[in-house]
Amino acid sequence: MAMADAPRLHVIDGDVDTAVIAEYESTRRDMVRRGIAAGGAAVLAASAIPLLLGVRKAFAQAEGDAAIIESAIGIEQIAVFAYARAVSSGILDEETMRIATQFGAHEQEHADGLIAALEALGGKPPAKPTNLADLDAVQDGFGDARTQADIANFAIELETAGIAAYYDAQLKLKDAKLLQTGASIMANEGQHLVVLRQAVRKAPVPNAFETGEASS
Amino acid sequence: MDVEQYLRDPVSRRRFFALSGVGVTGGSAVFLTACGGKGEPETGGGGQSEVTKAKSPEETDIHILNTALDLEHMAVAAYTGGAELLKGDALAAGKTFLEHEQEHAQGLATAIKDLGGRPNKAMRGYDFPTLRNQEDVLNFAVDLENTAIAAYLDALPKLSMPELRATAAAIITNEAEHVAVLLGALGMDQVPDAFVAGKG
Repeated sequence: MAMADAPRLHVIDGDVDTAVIAEYESTRRDMVRRGIAAGGAAVLAASAIPLLLGVRKAFAQAEGDAAIIESAIGIEQIAVFAYARAVSSGILDEETMRIATQFGAHEQEHADGLIAALEALGGKPPAKPTNLADLDAVQDGFGDARTQADIANFAIELETAGIAAYYDAQLKLKDAKLLQTGASIMANEGQHLVVLRQAVRKAPVPNAFETGEASS
Repeated sequence: MDVEQYLRDPVSRRRFFALSGVGVTGGSAVFLTACGGKGEPETGGGGQSEVTKAKSPEETDIHILNTALDLEHMAVAAYTGGAELLKGDALAAGKTFLEHEQEHAQGLATAIKDLGGRPNKAMRGYDFPTLRNQEDVLNFAVDLENTAIAAYLDALPKLSMPELRATAAAIITNEAEHVAVLLGALGMDQVPDAFVAGKG
C-alpha cells in the first residue's frame, strides 16, 4: 500500500477505537487525498520538541484575542489527541490509564471552553483539527514510545509547551475574562506536569515561576 | 490577622485585593525585572472594568502587588511553622515550597520597588489555626495555596502591565503545582478540576 494513501497509525497493541483518533485519521486521509498533507512515514525520535517550537511560534504570530484563542484551541486538540493515543497505546497500566483518561478529559474541557469563548468573540472554531503536522508529530512520538516512561516524558514536553504558550498569551490577551481563563488552564496543565514528573521520578515542582521553560 | 476566619470567609478573600478600589487602568513604564519581564508600556488589563478614583496605574499595581506580597509572607510563615510537623517526602516538599514562596515574595518586593513603592513587611505573627500533625499542616497548606490562587486570579486582569500579568500567571501555576503535590500527599485526587480556580 502506498504510504501516500495510508493513514499513518502506528498501533502498538490492538485497535485504536477512540473517536478523537478516528477523526484525526479521517481528516488526515481526506487531506492527503487532496494533496494538502504529506504522506511520508518519517520515523522521529519520541520527542515533542519540534512541536513545542511550532506551538510557541503559532502563539507568537497570533494577534488579537480571537487569533490567540484559536491557537489555544489547536493546542488543546493536540493534547486531547495525545492522551487518547496514550490510552490506546497498550503500554499503560490501569492506574496510568486512568490518569491519562482524566487528563484527556481536562484537555477536552479546555477546548470546549475556548471554543465557547471564541464563538462569544464572533469567531468560528474549526470543525476538525487542522494542525495535522502537529498531530503527526504526536503520532510519530507515540509510534516510538515503548514504555510508560516514554509516554510520560512525551506528555511532559507537550504540557510544558502548552504552559509556555499560555504564558506568552498573558502578554497579549486583552479581555479580562480570557486572561483569567488562560491562567486557570495554564495552572491545570501545571498540575498535570506534577503528576507526570512524579511518574518518572523528576522533581515535581522545579521552579518557583512556572513559565513552561523546559527543565531537566 | 485572623487567618482562619479569613480562609473561611469567601467575601473577605475576594476583598483582599479589592479593598482599596483597585480598578483597571493602563500605561505603566516599569516591569517586573526580577522575573525577566521586558517590554514597552502598554494599555491593558481587563479594559472594561471600572476605573476608580484618581489612582495612577503604578499606584494600582503597587497596591495589588503588595497585597500579593502579604499573602506570600503568610505562606512563608505557614511553611516555616509547619515544617516541624512534617517528615520524609512531605518535609522535603514543604522546604521546597517555602523557598518558592520566598522567591515569589522577593520578586514581588523588587517589582514594587521598581514601581516606586514600598514593599509591605511580614507581620510579626499570624493567628494560624492549631496544627497538630502532618495531615493538619498539609490541609492548611492546601487552603492557603487555594486562597492565594483565587486572589491572584482576581487580581491578574487588573494589573496594568502584560509582564506583570504573565508573572502572576506563572505564580498561579506554581501554587497550583504545590496544591497537586499536597493533595497527592493527602492521598487525594491531585488534579480534581480542568480549570484551576483556587478557593474563593
